[in-house]
Amino acid sequence: MVLLKICGVDCCYGSTKVLENVSFSVDSGELVGLLGPNGSGKTTLLRAISRTLKPKVGAVFLNEADIFSMKSSEVAKKLAVVPQIASLDFDFTALDLVLMGRHPHMGRFEREDRADLEIAKEAMMLTNTWHLAEKPINELSGGERQLVMIARALAQKPQVLLLDEPTSHLDINNQIGIMDLLRKICLEKNLAALAVFHDFNLAARYCNSLILLHKGKIFAIGKVEEVLTEENIREVFNVEVIVRRHPITNSLYIVPVSPLQAETVAPPQNFRIHVICGGGSGALLVKLLHIHGYHVTAGVLNLLDSDYEECMLLKIPVVSEAPFSPITEENHRRNLSMIEQADVVILSNVCFGNGNLKNLEAALYAVEKGKEVVVVDETPIRQRDFTGGVAERLYEKLKSKGVIVVKNCYEIPSILKKIEN
Amino acid sequence: MEKSQVEIAYLKKFAKWSLILVALSVILLFSMGAATTIGPMQIPLDRALKIILHQIPLVDNLIPVQWESIEEAVIIQLRLPRVLSAVVVGVALSVAGTAFQCLFRNPMADPYVLGVASGAGFGAALAMVLRLGFSVFGAIYAIPIMASMGAISTVFLVYGIARTGTELPVLRLLLAGIAVSSFFSALISVMMALAGEDLHVVYMWLLGGFSLSRWEYLYVAAPTVAVGFIILYAFARDFNIILLGEEQAKQLGVEVEKIKKMVLIIASVVTAVAVSISGIIGFVGLIVPHIMRILVGPDHRILLPSSALAGASILVLCDTIARTVIRPAALPTGIITTMLGCPFFIYLLKRSGKIRI
Repeated sequence: MVLLKICGVDCCYGSTKVLENVSFSVDSGELVGLLGPNGSGKTTLLRAISRTLKPKVGAVFLNEADIFSMKSSEVAKKLAVVPQIASLDFDFTALDLVLMGRHPHMGRFEREDRADLEIAKEAMMLTNTWHLAEKPINELSGGERQLVMIARALAQKPQVLLLDEPTSHLDINNQIGIMDLLRKICLEKNLAALAVFHDFNLAARYCNSLILLHKGKIFAIGKVEEVLTEENIREVFNVEVIVRRHPITNSLYIVPVSPLQAETVAPPQNFRIHVICGGGSGALLVKLLHIHGYHVTAGVLNLLDSDYEECMLLKIPVVSEAPFSPITEENHRRNLSMIEQADVVILSNVCFGNGNLKNLEAALYAVEKGKEVVVVDETPIRQRDFTGGVAERLYEKLKSKGVIVVKNCYEIPSILKKIEN
Repeated sequence: MEKSQVEIAYLKKFAKWSLILVALSVILLFSMGAATTIGPMQIPLDRALKIILHQIPLVDNLIPVQWESIEEAVIIQLRLPRVLSAVVVGVALSVAGTAFQCLFRNPMADPYVLGVASGAGFGAALAMVLRLGFSVFGAIYAIPIMASMGAISTVFLVYGIARTGTELPVLRLLLAGIAVSSFFSALISVMMALAGEDLHVVYMWLLGGFSLSRWEYLYVAAPTVAVGFIILYAFARDFNIILLGEEQAKQLGVEVEKIKKMVLIIASVVTAVAVSISGIIGFVGLIVPHIMRILVGPDHRILLPSSALAGASILVLCDTIARTVIRPAALPTGIITTMLGCPFFIYLLKRSGKIRI
């Protein structure tokens, strides 16, 4: 059932248009995430929906009634807002604050009665804050305060819940706790919830659908995987990210790579880089090089290896080996010939076992061939060596031959620029 | 379902509130009684009560006249209007101060925050310097009329300056209040410079006091203040929520803009009434709400009535001190409220460490 419907809303501050033609709806039991960069109109949208800002054009329907034709107390009975954490410097107790949520339901001279107390207690039990009831609000921690604000919103007995960055400024345990609670409330109470998020991963994991705002317009709307694409995020946030499905939670997760810099000079046309990686140690590096416009090759990688999959997505030429198999002599030779064509060879922070020891020999071969070799040395080789010392000896030999050693892959673009010149 | 400790405690709160109000009412009655008996002419309390009761129709025949007519005149014509004026002004200033502090969410706000004092002072000074002699109903004279006109027009001026479209931002109100207030203060200074032999009268009026109290003023002031208090009290719960901020209050169904305008007008009218009968009495409207907030908590459902009762008691006591301490002369009451109020307030400030709204 559609509880909240926004139809063609335009909002202005003075003569500046902040929202343009925004339309969507939220069903009962649904948690919808609102994403967008700073200034994209997220908070303005929440203000328009909560009747604090009148849209210039368009309408907001709460359970099929236009909110601007309703009295504000009528709206407050059906729609509750959890504001961003603000400083609350009063001597009111947590229970006083939650009981303020009963205000729209009470008459002018009425006092809170047992029924109101019962509702407040239920809301505080649900948010696990009942034990804080008699504490002054200014003595609560940020996380507790946010939970009390959610309890206040629930005490309004709303059908629609709006939340403005419910998890920002909170510790990771509180973030997860509040998101779990929100999803539970939506399902159990059949609420429609709309929440502003800054954290893509939290939104991706908990929301049923997402809305991506950009310059006051809806840029993308729909299922999480339709909205959170690398292209959409690049366009709206001007940042390169890797979007993958997490193998354990099976929800999308987003890793930022680097912000796009307009002044980056494209590398020379035939400047080639070969990356020796595996086991996930090269995915970020390859992506980074790809973003900077380099012509990249990689090898030798086993099929199904996450580095292999990243290279396939980016359409990078790879010397590949059968899954979980040691590198054959034939593929090693093909790798060496790729190295011969490259200008720079980068060895990622990869682990070595007997199966891929040939990749380390390939790096030594590159040095002998006079190639510029960069070694990403993030983890000490002793911890990455599963060959009983063979790899460590080869690695030390490699490092003694005048290769460039870096601590992490973000240093590489600037080193490459130096090599180019 | 069984009630937990917390719920029982919460419901008991309302009983505690009633107790506080009864105690404050007793204190107020006691102060009024003391004020009626103390003075150059010592009249015992029982006799004073009999004189007062004798004024009531039907009851008067039951009380034999056992006092001299001069005593009756002192009680009825001098002390009673003076005590009741102090009560009305005390209630008015304390309630207006509480409402303004909440509305502006600023502990510095007082009844004169919108320039009411300077506007009223200017009106009164004008009446005194020009020696205006008109009267209404034969008894309400030029000074209170000019003072309340000055006060009300100042509020509308500030209101008009601060308003943007349909909204009334509180910061603009505060600044407009300061600007207009300073302007009228300058005009008062001009008037005083031109006042010549009237300088003393203008100056004493500005310091505030009850020496000019009359029944006729009370007939107008008391009902106005009573109605103003009842209307403000009706919005006590809304005030609590407004403390959270206007945006949150709107989201909880409070009609912030409407209430803001209403409070502004009512609190200003109530203040104007107080100023017109007593001149400018400082400090009561600022500290009484703070003292009561420390004693009874921030909930306006108890804060408003207890501030009203406490403000009335304090002003009655201060006025009694003012007219007896340097007998036979009398000090302006405004001096006593400030001289006694400041140290007490500083003591509370040091003890509680923190001043909140």
